[in-house]
Amino acid sequence: MTRDVTRRPLIGLMVPAAVAVLFIALPLIGLLVHVDWGNLPSQLVSGNVLTALRLSLECSIIAVAVSLVIGVPLAYLLARASIPGRRVIRGLVTLPLVLPPVVGGIALQTALGRTTPIGTVLDHFGIVLPFSTAGAAIAEAFVGFPFLVITVEAGLRQRDDHFEEVAATLGARPWRRFWRVTLPLAAPSIAAGAALCWARALGEFGATITFAGSFPGTTETLPVAAYTSFEGSGQIGMAITLSLLLLAISVLVLVVLRDRWLGALR
Amino acid sequence: MTLVARVRTRLGSLGLECDLSVESNVTVAVLGPNGAGKTTLLRVVAGLVPLDEGRIEIDGTVFEDTPTRTWLTPEARRVGFVFQDHGLFPHLTVLDNVAFGLRARGVDRTTANARAKEWLERVDLAGYAASRPAALSGGQSQRAALARVLVTDPRALLLDEPLAAVDASGRLELRRTLRDHLSTFTGLRLIVTHDPLEAASLADRVVVLEDGRVTQEGLFGEVSSRPRSAWIARMAGLNLLRGSVSDGGMLLEDGSWVTVATDVRGPALATIQPRAVALYRKAPDGSPRNVLRRSVAGVDPEGDRWRIRLDGPFPLVAEVTPAAAAELRLAEGGEVFAVVKATEIDVYSL
Repeated sequence: MTRDVTRRPLIGLMVPAAVAVLFIALPLIGLLVHVDWGNLPSQLVSGNVLTALRLSLECSIIAVAVSLVIGVPLAYLLARASIPGRRVIRGLVTLPLVLPPVVGGIALQTALGRTTPIGTVLDHFGIVLPFSTAGAAIAEAFVGFPFLVITVEAGLRQRDDHFEEVAATLGARPWRRFWRVTLPLAAPSIAAGAALCWARALGEFGATITFAGSFPGTTETLPVAAYTSFEGSGQIGMAITLSLLLLAISVLVLVVLRDRWLGALR
Repeated sequence: MTLVARVRTRLGSLGLECDLSVESNVTVAVLGPNGAGKTTLLRVVAGLVPLDEGRIEIDGTVFEDTPTRTWLTPEARRVGFVFQDHGLFPHLTVLDNVAFGLRARGVDRTTANARAKEWLERVDLAGYAASRPAALSGGQSQRAALARVLVTDPRALLLDEPLAAVDASGRLELRRTLRDHLSTFTGLRLIVTHDPLEAASLADRVVVLEDGRVTQEGLFGEVSSRPRSAWIARMAGLNLLRGSVSDGGMLLEDGSWVTVATDVRGPALATIQPRAVALYRKAPDGSPRNVLRRSVAGVDPEGDRWRIRLDGPFPLVAEVTPAAAAELRLAEGGEVFAVVKATEIDVYSL
């Protein structure tokens, strides 16, 4: 293939392409250069980092769980059922993908804040969402769940409902068809969607800090902690350590999903 | 047991309009060209396609009845459907596939697995219980699909093109397996196929479906020797003429006159075996026979019998030996005289 004339690179394109690679790589290199490798282990196991990490994992896993419970049924209906206004619903679901997260946080505040009708009702049951761990999880779910819905819907669309028909002629009622046929066949796309949703939830900052604030141990997740130590307390070393941790997790997600997502581009 | 179906339904460009009655003591094959509505007919019986109008019932159990808006779900019909692609669940093992129907009907796992195993042995797949369907050959997957349906003891067995997804080498074997299982199955048996050989080898009775309508039905021998449509005549390798018989001859729809020897009078069909059509370069004389001037439309060498397609007022196929074809210097566009004895034309009432 290297002899293929049409595949010989245009020199003129190589310069901006090289700039593009540097554009992505330089900040990451800068981050790595400024890591205080000597103090890194002790910083990583320090109380603040571990608390933020635990909180991040907690919130993001709750966000994924919530997204799975409400997102998979929605994806199924969007892919299979003929429901009115499907295009509008799909547009609505994908909106958080392009919406600035801070807008999402403010929107959540106006819908679920303590003084809102829903917030008042929840207050009666002793549930307060804003500036709570649950609120942070909800903010993360709001931003992450479109990834799940879109991925699962695409997975379901790849197949028609032939196997559901087969199951029906074998005597399986609708719920059994859904649990034994539809869901297992969609499992790969559900797993991929959940992973993307989780990665997005883990890195969520804008909506979380707007809706849940930054209280260490309650709502200060890794990205929020990185920001506050960078901006507020001027602990740039700690900010870099937290950033490195998030970078490592991102790379891990990428490696896990490599075959599924990058494989298609190869 | 009897299945009685009056089917009226429209699906895309296909309008299916046919009445069908299937008894449990005979295997019925629905035979027809692709796109005739055969699969749709099976899907209607299974409850996967609703009727626009009509009624389907088996021995008093009404599956569907449009006037009273009765409709039984596919899962409640207990109809075993072996799909053309076999439809084995790719995420389940072969054993779990076969046990699926029993589990769906509330049989506990142990019993379901035991009965599924029993059926896998019957179809010679005991060694594949733990395999995924992807590991099976076409014939094996067809047998697994058959076992999966039969283990549930359905009221009816519907087979859609049972040999289509199987390569030629496996067909003979699979056809025998199918015949064995069809003969021991006590419920209704309905097969859909576009292949007359398959219909002849698996079924007792044939229903010919063309363009959504039944054009002929009866025993296979009757249908193939006395075809009532051009398609079935072509499938049986016969020339089919349609016209009206009066004293000494038959006036065809295109205005041609053919000498025949028959007692039949009035509207009729007639068949001519291709090997009964003799070809000459010059017009011979003598009677009673038909001498037809034709041009050669095509030559299809098939082993030691070559099929010569002839163009004329009505198309005709002749069968000659390769030697005769060479001697006659048959080539596309060339002119020949086709001769058919009146006694070689089989005439029957329309």
